Amino acid sequence: MVNIAANEAIVNVTWAGNNGDLRDPVSFDATDEEIRTWVTESVRTGGVANIAADPNANFADFVVDRFAATDETPYKRIFLRPKTPFGMHLLSSWLAG
Amino acid sequence: MMEAGVLIGRDNSVLHWHTPNERSGGALPDSRDLWDIIWESRDIVTGFAHTHPGSGVPGPSHTDVTTFRAVETGLGKHLNWFILSSDSLVLCLFDSEVGELWQPSQTLVTVELNSSHTDKMTWMSRLRELSHY
Repeated sequence: MVNIAANEAIVNVTWAGNNGDLRDPVSFDATDEEIRTWVTESVRTGGVANIAADPNANFADFVVDRFAATDETPYKRIFLRPKTPFGMHLLSSWLAG
Repeated sequence: MMEAGVLIGRDNSVLHWHTPNERSGGALPDSRDLWDIIWESRDIVTGFAHTHPGSGVPGPSHTDVTTFRAVETGLGKHLNWFILSSDSLVLCLFDSEVGELWQPSQTLVTVELNSSHTDKMTWMSRLRELSHY
């Protein structure tokens, strides 16, 4: 069991039909870009459990979700998953304006 | 008009109607809930359809294309991506001849569908209703 400090989180990533955690916890306050960078390096080199090394892994279009600890999961969690917006955002902005 | 989506399974079955509160006439927002449903359905999901405003043959936006690519790389498989306007339907899909998994070299192909293709797509009319067409 990895020791997880109060300000740290376990990072979970989904890639190529598989899902796994980074081996080491990270700062819960890390920026989204830092998390994408660490995950990219880990997946490219086979550093994520359950996910085969993929030298072409690219998480530019993935988003970061952060969750506080709960009774069920007593440590903070960060998830990197594919984004899911659709549509023409320029038109949306125009309509909203 | 409000954009709406539907997650589609085998034999054109409906897995989930996607009508988030934050939707607008030009966009469906990013949704962790939608991704969770896609992931939980990954063994049976075959595609996703969403509506665009107006009539005529719709085309995918940059946001659409980058979302198609992100979801396919997450799932590790290709999906059929449908876009509906008030009177037309197109199917977008990445060139699968390169391989089963999405690869950077694959290009997006868009095909307009007519009534001979859409007889079994019973979700079409309901999706347009949910879009207030």
